[in-house]
Amino acid sequence: MLKKLYHQFASPKTYVVLVDKIYPIIFYTSLITYVFALIWGLAFAPSDYMQGNSYRIIYMHVPASFLSESLYIAMAIAAAIFLIWKVKLAAYIIKAIAPIGALVAFLALVSGSIWGIPTWGTWWQWDARVTSTLILFIMYLGLISLHSSFTNYEKADKFISVLVLIGSVNIPIIKKSVDWWNTLHQPASITLTDKPSIDPSMLYPLFLSMLGFSGLIICLVILSSKVQIFNREGNKTWVKYHV
Amino acid sequence: MTDLLKIESFKLRKKLRAWLGPILIFLLIMISFPLTVELASDELKNVFYSILWLSSLLTVMVSLDSIFLEDFDDGTLEHYLILNNSLFSMILIKIFIYWLLIGIPISILGTFFSISTSGDFSSFYIAFPSMLISSYIFINLFALGNSLSLNKGSALGALITMPLLFPVLILLGKIVLNANFGFEISNLLLLMLGVLLIIIVIIPFIISFVVKTHLE
Repeated sequence: MLKKLYHQFASPKTYVVLVDKIYPIIFYTSLITYVFALIWGLAFAPSDYMQGNSYRIIYMHVPASFLSESLYIAMAIAAAIFLIWKVKLAAYIIKAIAPIGALVAFLALVSGSIWGIPTWGTWWQWDARVTSTLILFIMYLGLISLHSSFTNYEKADKFISVLVLIGSVNIPIIKKSVDWWNTLHQPASITLTDKPSIDPSMLYPLFLSMLGFSGLIICLVILSSKVQIFNREGNKTWVKYHV
Repeated sequence: MTDLLKIESFKLRKKLRAWLGPILIFLLIMISFPLTVELASDELKNVFYSILWLSSLLTVMVSLDSIFLEDFDDGTLEHYLILNNSLFSMILIKIFIYWLLIGIPISILGTFFSISTSGDFSSFYIAFPSMLISSYIFINLFALGNSLSLNKGSALGALITMPLLFPVLILLGKIVLNANFGFEISNLLLLMLGVLLIIIVIIPFIISFVVKTHLE
């Protein structure tokens, strides 16, 4: 039963049908959540006693940096699925995520630089976290350029998944860079194991904004993966009936 | 195995530009960098090691440009794959030969430069082991990057390999930092050796998978 479900979901056709059904639900709930979190965070949350109002960019910076790493982990999982079970859908999803990951990493870098001006006094610092996020951004660009340099998509899929899997050794380093080095960037305020070091009045909108932003990015991934599927499977009959 | 060793080393030794060229490039970088810094100042000592790591990285990058390209073009790889049904041993030995003919000479040269720059023989214990180990790691990873971008130019290979090397560069930086403060560096060297021992076995497997995909 479960195996059948798994195999069905692995076919692009079932994926597209399912995704078309749940897409509006995810989109509208996450949009409402994010807008609600932004209003709460920007207008109602108290201002920081050190940073004043400038900390409010956290409601955009933290979700973006969180997702820039999570999207890479998602790609690594998809790459493992593709290499082990040869599920084509996983390869389409890797290709779909790569530009979005680059976009999100770029957003994290830009919002971090903007935040750096009032708090650190400089918009760029060769600090461990900043540098490693920049490396992550370059890794996404490398993946895109590797895939686009092959006209044979089946080869390109294998190469990109090998590279994604090997590149994932950098993820723990990016994640832990603020703990291992003494740097300007502050350590993570929210962890799974400890009590958050951030006040609840700021934490709840932050949590909601992370949820909403993730939902919006997932919607983007869904749209992008549909583009990939229609591109690669365009000559199949189900696509003609579906579109 | 010994046949393979002989063949591969013969192939590399005959291509003078492929092994002597990178060593000379390394020499040129090491000679030219004191010209850009004020001579005989303390600054030279401070930045010396970062120049050393980066120039060894660049040397390896240049030397591994076409590690698989010629064998791929003339059909050696395909021939070997059909004969032995596996590319693992060939790639393992190919990488080892590159380390033997390029990695070890640049480690010796780099150690010589570090001793002459610091004027202290004790820098031998920092530079030599770390350069030996790191050059082997660099060669492995650049071989991987160049196998991925086999006939698409080496710029792509360098672009996708460089981000993978940052952990090694961080470790090398830590070694120099600890040595400057007079701390123990053998633990970091052993960590790097451990990374190398994992990489030696895994990377040839991955490269042979990639090359097989290229040959399909």
